[in-house]
Amino acid sequence: MSTLLEDIQAQISGVKTSVAKENVGTVRRIGDGVAIVDGLTDAMLNEMLDFGNGVVGLALNLEETEVGAIILGDYTGIAEGQEVKTTGKLLQVPVGKELLGRVVNSLGEPLDGKGTVDTDKTYPVEKIAPGIIQRKSVSQPVQTGIMPIDAMIPIGRGQRELIIGDRSTGKTTVAIDTIINNARANQRAKDDGDESYRPLFCIYVAIGQKQSNVANTIQVLEDNDAMPWTIVVCSSASDSATNQYLAPFAGAAMGEYFMDNNMDALIIFDDLSKHAVAFRQVSLILKRPSGREAYPGDVFYLHSRLLERSARLSEKAGGGSLTALPIIETQMGDVSAYIPTNVISITDGQIYLETDLFYQGIRPAISVGLSVSRVGSAAQIKAIKQVAGKLKLELAQFRELAAFAQFGSDLDAKTQAQLERGKRIVELFKQLQYNPIPVEEQVAVLWSMQNNFFDKIDVEKIKDCQGKMQAYLRDRKSDLLKQIVSEGKVTDEIAEALKTSIGEFIDTYK
Amino acid sequence: MKISKQAQRDAKQLFRACLVEGSLNEDRARAVAAELAEKKPRGYFGIMNHFHRLVYLDVARRTTNVTSATPLSEEARQGVRVNLTRIYGDNIEISFAEDPAVIGGMRVQVGSDVYDGTIRTRLNNLQEQF
Repeated sequence: MSTLLEDIQAQISGVKTSVAKENVGTVRRIGDGVAIVDGLTDAMLNEMLDFGNGVVGLALNLEETEVGAIILGDYTGIAEGQEVKTTGKLLQVPVGKELLGRVVNSLGEPLDGKGTVDTDKTYPVEKIAPGIIQRKSVSQPVQTGIMPIDAMIPIGRGQRELIIGDRSTGKTTVAIDTIINNARANQRAKDDGDESYRPLFCIYVAIGQKQSNVANTIQVLEDNDAMPWTIVVCSSASDSATNQYLAPFAGAAMGEYFMDNNMDALIIFDDLSKHAVAFRQVSLILKRPSGREAYPGDVFYLHSRLLERSARLSEKAGGGSLTALPIIETQMGDVSAYIPTNVISITDGQIYLETDLFYQGIRPAISVGLSVSRVGSAAQIKAIKQVAGKLKLELAQFRELAAFAQFGSDLDAKTQAQLERGKRIVELFKQLQYNPIPVEEQVAVLWSMQNNFFDKIDVEKIKDCQGKMQAYLRDRKSDLLKQIVSEGKVTDEIAEALKTSIGEFIDTYK
Repeated sequence: MKISKQAQRDAKQLFRACLVEGSLNEDRARAVAAELAEKKPRGYFGIMNHFHRLVYLDVARRTTNVTSATPLSEEARQGVRVNLTRIYGDNIEISFAEDPAVIGGMRVQVGSDVYDGTIRTRLNNLQEQF
């Protein structure tokens, strides 16, 4: 009891009751989540405003005689004539490892019913991106577990790689597979006590999606034991445009915590098209001048300042990285539309998913011709580089020949061989969703392809053969797979071991 | 009512014309209002409304409201006048009002700036902090 009395006494002593100067204004207009406030002469851009009763807003429009603010929370209790105060603070969200495994909203408040988030660390939602000197070049891979991506469009830690395609082409699936693959790798390294492995923490930001979709995604992550390594920031379609506008920035703030503390994180923005629409709504209600397609003039800056916060830092600046996988939905395959071209010009490459390929059964429906990674092989381990170096070229040649061969003319043996090889590569690159392939198995499969082990297998049986080969290697040759991981390259000894093992398997495969 | 951008620009121009050495000249403002009402130029209604708003905001910026629980003595009022004039200049109008709800202390609002030393506010702050 005496400790309680001392605590209260300390609180009373610590409470400041001096007269301080405040800056106030009066609500002149309120509606659609936006308040126009007279006065507030000292308000600064993005400053938090106190509307009373726990309702806060952000000052977004600073005009000569009034301030336009977006309301965070329930704006129905705000009335005309109500007093508003400046707070002198920027909007901050809770950050830290305590958020892993949790589902939160744009303000970091929990949505999963698992209680409060016990963290005392906060980061500002809007922050200037790291400068040039603080950065380091990208050289560590993000293993997505999706073979065509890891082989031909490799992503590095600190890179921004756009996932772009029409509706229902598998964009979210690519992102979720990446989370699952990295969660498995993180868990494997933790179980093996591997101190040298840097775990990759994931943040999935759902913007403007149906809540049923988000619930399904969370369920998939839980079923694959990925949630303990993941933060889900959810601002669904029923949330206000303000919350949808803030969600990616809140997620980026959470990712920056890992980056600044020598850890690696991956953030997925699903999707930025809806984010641009929410920003357009907020801007139009704030009466900002509209430009092309009614988007405000600074819609490019909206995404550029968000994506520039993803970087790989030098040791001196924090040593960590934040990799971004923004998702953009196109309409009828039009990548030359306004928002897609904006984001393509910001990111370090794109993975383009085509509807035609999807319905042909090629899933993931990645268009190898239009997809690119500007970081390239700097983000691949040597083993993958050795086995996947020529794949893009072979596939390109195959596509050219396939178009030619469909006319049924007689082809020479070399052309036939190229066609057969191409068909097998296309088959190998098909993958079921939520089944990422670890990098060592990818190396083994691609090495087998490059060394012609699949040539005598019928195209229709390639997937079955691949599945059984992977199971065989996992069950009987796990030491070989571990050696591939530890060496990081296909040495002569590993090549010999692969030749023996895969040869044995192919001989017995029916 | 929705006031067009042109009307807002015109009203602003007229307002600037009423400023003498940075302060609003009342005679000029009255003359402008009378002229607009008489001559009725195109969009005069919007111009007059916006002009009224600009004058209102300027007056609000220069108006000081001092609220206390009980009437202040003349000495206290003079002290407030001197201090406010020192900070904000001579061009402010000070009005004194009483509100028992503040319990004690004083609240001074000059435009958007508020100096709140009332006991009511301090109690509210304590309540929030606990």
